[in-house]
Amino acid sequence: MSDNSILITDLLSLPATVDEVDYARRGYHLDVALTADRVRAMAETLLRHEFYLVFASAVDLAPDAEVVYQFARHGSPCRIMARAYVRRDGTVPTIADIYHGANWHERETKDMFGIRFAGHPYLQPLLLPEENAELKPLKKSEKSIKLPADVRWLPEEPAPAAPAAPAAPKAGGDTPTTPEQG
Amino acid sequence: MTPEAAKQDKHTFVLNMGPQHPSTHGVMRVILEMDGEHILEPEPVLGYGHRIQEKMGEARPWPGFMPNTSRMDYLSAMIYNHGYVSLIERMTGIEVPRRAEFIRVITDELNRIQSHLLWLGAFLLDLGAFTPIMYTFDDREQILDILEDVTGSRLTYCYHRVGGVARDIDEKFVERTRAFIARLRSRFKPIYYDLVTSNIIFIKRVKDVVSFTPELARRYGLTGPPLRSTGISYDIRKNEPYSIYPEFDFEVPVGTKGDCLEVYNIRVAEMEQSLRIIEQALDRLPEGPFRNKIPRKVKLPQGDATFSVETARGELTYYLVSDGSDVPYRLKIRVPSFSNLSVLQELCRNMLLSDLVMSLGTLDLVIPEIDR
Repeated sequence: MSDNSILITDLLSLPATVDEVDYARRGYHLDVALTADRVRAMAETLLRHEFYLVFASAVDLAPDAEVVYQFARHGSPCRIMARAYVRRDGTVPTIADIYHGANWHERETKDMFGIRFAGHPYLQPLLLPEENAELKPLKKSEKSIKLPADVRWLPEEPAPAAPAAPAAPKAGGDTPTTPEQG
Repeated sequence: MTPEAAKQDKHTFVLNMGPQHPSTHGVMRVILEMDGEHILEPEPVLGYGHRIQEKMGEARPWPGFMPNTSRMDYLSAMIYNHGYVSLIERMTGIEVPRRAEFIRVITDELNRIQSHLLWLGAFLLDLGAFTPIMYTFDDREQILDILEDVTGSRLTYCYHRVGGVARDIDEKFVERTRAFIARLRSRFKPIYYDLVTSNIIFIKRVKDVVSFTPELARRYGLTGPPLRSTGISYDIRKNEPYSIYPEFDFEVPVGTKGDCLEVYNIRVAEMEQSLRIIEQALDRLPEGPFRNKIPRKVKLPQGDATFSVETARGELTYYLVSDGSDVPYRLKIRVPSFSNLSVLQELCRNMLLSDLVMSLGTLDLVIPEIDR
């Protein structure tokens, strides 16, 4: 756990908002939200912490679509969902030169959502045969598109009987109270 | 020679491999910039089998996507079933009877073994050895027969259900599976080991070809046996255990230097470990219901969740975003072969063409899974 507290501090200083969430319910440990401009810094931080990229993709929302990244670690389990809204000009900085595997994930996201990854070395269609500005198959229609608030967990999410989690070690590691010295 | 310099050189040429080619194991194309027998730049071209599975997942209530799950990686269909139902169970909190968990694990592991057996035969076929595939297909048929009896299909299963499995297994299934375990065990040594693993021609051919490293694996999100060949012991069944895997005693085989031979050895060792898991599960198979009753229409709670399982090829992750209805708002499917293939460009630069064929075989690709 002390491992994660350094990680969380690093992520907070990006800056980003970091929430520790219920793994049993969601399947990931940390929910990270940040601005598109900080995506590259996040990737560098996570690579330094020896995370690998599970996938990069997007969720179409109104008014701005959102890119989502999932990272995990080979060591002690820690899965991260990171999300950033696409900038108004429809771009997000690429992370393909940091995580080389992101190259194809970003190309696929461009195919499906039309999101452009600024600085990508080769942003050509990957799964779809050719560039087609009208055909962005995973974009939602105007009728069915949702607001971010419609797809987030509601606040009363944690199950009622959640046992008190062991509090994260805080404030300079006080030694536990020792029995009276005889 | 850099690709730029190569373009100036009159001795370089472009070679097209696929989309119809026996060693791409599916409809995939690789454009190869060649200098004689050496590859300067391999470029995979994908999408020939693209069916937009994710859109299908977002266009109907969640139960309607069940049959699709088995049509991506047709060799790990059962495990794809498992990942999807577990994701829905995670979001809705639907419980699974204990017997069903055992049945799921048994069928998953049978599925994994038949995938590895097919790979073993096909990989050696790529190398020019024709005989082994005859033996592996003989063994594999036994699994398909066993699974056909209980699921009704031989390849594209739709057997796992949210809250359990579709049909219960009977004594006959248990008996046949036990017989199969004994049979496959008796064949490892005389056939697979003596014929292939210890064969000096085979060893010399595959040893030290390709080199997966932990660092490469992290940058590309490599998973499955190629990742484990680098010495990283990472198997979702152990590292983020799901279902009842923690109750079983099994090992995760790893390598040290990440070449083709080690990946081969890992897959063979994994078959033995899967047999161990199945045996333990059969011994402890509890009585009880195989499926919980669930309401006809179950809405997903608003929010997002993810679920990862270990397929025969590596990490499969479903990521679902829900708006509170029973139709997923967004369903992302992260498939192992997609990330595993993306290393090809870096891995195979300056390699011999015949070694590229072997690298593709070592990655154990299923193309419809990559294209989805």
